[in-house]
Amino acid sequence: MLFGYIGNLALFLSLIFNVFLIFSSIKIIKNNSLVNLKKINFLNNSVFYLLLISFLILIYCFTTSDFSNVAVYKNSHTEKPLIYKISGAWGNHEGSMVLFILILSFFSFIFFRSKVSEQLRFYTIFFQAILISIFLIFLIFTSNPFDQIDPKPLQGLGLNPILQDPLLAIHPPFLYFGYVGFSLVFSFTLAGLVTNSFDKSWSQYANFWIILPWSLLTIGIGLGSFWAYYELGWGGYWFWDPVENASLMPWLSATALIHSNIVTLKKDKLHSWTALLAIFTFIMSLLGTFLVRSGILNSVHAFANDPYRGVYILSMILLITFFSLAIFIIKNPKKALNQEHFFLQKDNFILINNYFLIFFLSVVLVGTVYPIILDAVSGRSISVGPVYYHTILAPFLFIFLFFMSHGPLLSWNKQDKFLQLKNIKIFLPISVVTLLIIIFWFFDQKDITLILGLLFSIYLIISVIFDLISQKALKLNFGRLTSHLGFGILIFSIFVNAYLSKEINTSMKVGDEIKIDEFTIKFSSINKNKKDNYEEVFGNFLVSNKDEKVELSPSIRKYNQPAQITSEVSIKSNLIADYYFAINLSEFEKDKIMVRFYFKPLMFWIWFSIILIALGGFYQSLRFKNEQKI
Amino acid sequence: MKKIIFIIIYLILSKHAISASEELKNKIYKNVRCIVCQGQSIYDSDTDFAIDLKKLISKKLENGENEKQIYDFLISRYGEWIVFNPILSFHSLALWLVPFIILVIGSFLIFRFNYKKKS
Repeated sequence: MLFGYIGNLALFLSLIFNVFLIFSSIKIIKNNSLVNLKKINFLNNSVFYLLLISFLILIYCFTTSDFSNVAVYKNSHTEKPLIYKISGAWGNHEGSMVLFILILSFFSFIFFRSKVSEQLRFYTIFFQAILISIFLIFLIFTSNPFDQIDPKPLQGLGLNPILQDPLLAIHPPFLYFGYVGFSLVFSFTLAGLVTNSFDKSWSQYANFWIILPWSLLTIGIGLGSFWAYYELGWGGYWFWDPVENASLMPWLSATALIHSNIVTLKKDKLHSWTALLAIFTFIMSLLGTFLVRSGILNSVHAFANDPYRGVYILSMILLITFFSLAIFIIKNPKKALNQEHFFLQKDNFILINNYFLIFFLSVVLVGTVYPIILDAVSGRSISVGPVYYHTILAPFLFIFLFFMSHGPLLSWNKQDKFLQLKNIKIFLPISVVTLLIIIFWFFDQKDITLILGLLFSIYLIISVIFDLISQKALKLNFGRLTSHLGFGILIFSIFVNAYLSKEINTSMKVGDEIKIDEFTIKFSSINKNKKDNYEEVFGNFLVSNKDEKVELSPSIRKYNQPAQITSEVSIKSNLIADYYFAINLSEFEKDKIMVRFYFKPLMFWIWFSIILIALGGFYQSLRFKNEQKI
Repeated sequence: MKKIIFIIIYLILSKHAISASEELKNKIYKNVRCIVCQGQSIYDSDTDFAIDLKKLISKKLENGENEKQIYDFLISRYGEWIVFNPILSFHSLALWLVPFIILVIGSFLIFRFNYKKKS
């Protein structure tokens, strides 16, 4: 109870300090007295520490199961393992917003210690403080994590069992560090614009602040996808669900930004475009937050019943968008110098990269947002499923991969047609031969989409390997090579997985043995197990095909708080494929259980390639950090 | 002999027919939303709603109805939301149009960028 008050007080104080920071900044701007930033530094630090205190107190309330706190009461329970009590602190709306703001402030906190010029630093902190205030007001007045109930309930309602998972404990922090990290890029951009210093040196510093959150977001998306894969139990890892799309949109936009910023850095051009993308990336993050946090995804009607949060976030986004674009238009950065420009030149291919990424982004954006708008406007609700995305994205993905294979091999300053022609003459035959070997030796599939997908991803992988071998500045390009290789492997694995996955749905009882296609499934036994927060029944199965024999033990869990039944999958993974098994209770045949078996090729490589992509980013950000002594 | 060949051909064809109808069935299941779940198709769900709907669809298929008739029926009963693939109609036009408008504008910008700089 007492701690709740202290937490609440810390939140209020952080808002007051923050408003104070904004006013003193305005004073400094008015008097043009940018000499002493000590006060700003003090306020900036205080805001961070106060938010940290309130976040720690919230965690404390969760670990001690203080049910006088509404958020704890609604999302926790005394019989939950400690780790889920802790992660429960950010597994709900209120707590996750505290984490969101804490990270906003964390980036302000570390940015103040960077070596960027005083002026830029000052303005960045100023804009960041405005963002923090906007979110703090939202938090305190619409979703306060320290709301109290009186009398204090004896027991909490518990955390949704599918959220009781170690991965989900770390997934949101990663995702938020990514999402929210872009806020700093956003503030830094606005700072660069208002001080008329949006130039080469700006993008040199910006590099680090763009790539770091991008890498964290990559990991965050990967973790979310991995969680969906083994927790939801349907063998899928990406459902084009609006929640997933919400995290993909800032990723696509930031990927475009990383590339356009390189052009700004190397050639001192594309300033406006880079600035616009930087603003847009953060707006995409905000949109994602809105979609996930407003409840609008479940249904427009649920949203309309309790619209305060949603309306606030929506108006917040509109406000931020409006003002940032206004600054952008008024302070449009300088025009590029007139330089020689050729078609087959690296900066042009980076433009093409941006062109495709923005197209992919627009597809995901329209597919996610349009049904919501349509429903709100006309009351018609339509669904936009995977087929829409696949149909519209696939053909462009192939061209994208082709450009991606050649872009990095081009020169910044001159064009060399013959070199590229020579490259095509090397890559194409090797990829075609590799493709043919794969198709004839490993599987008998002649689908044209599959063949093109494989061909172009192999083409990219080969170009990266070629680039790696002939690389003269490995240290400089290592990050890019790693991420691009990862992307090639990712697309390859996704296509193989999509076309070669197999599944068996049937019902069985103990002792049954069935043979479907090349798989033999034997249901050997069941056993039971009891834990604090659930009871569990395991089914033991033996699955074999011509080259593999695996034992799988999926289970059904009955959680006590809240009372809910979940199905836990069992996965045996190797480099070639995953064997994935799930069971469910059957409604109709009491003596049997429903079994689902999935054969999912190259799953390992999907996860591995996501790690590669992120690793490339981490490497690059470390390199920037060391080079520029940020 | 003729009889045996006939039987073999019949068996092959019928097996093929069964797997084809099975495929169609799964295709439809995957395209129908389980409206009591979150973002799952009825194929990926074991709720009562999903099971009932699966039974209904397989019955309709046995009665010789085609894919479109089944979707039409489902849409008339539950609304358009129930099918995952947006049907191409006036109000879903934006879905296909907007990305392509972006594509056209983008090509124009890149073209201009290249052309202007050269001259």
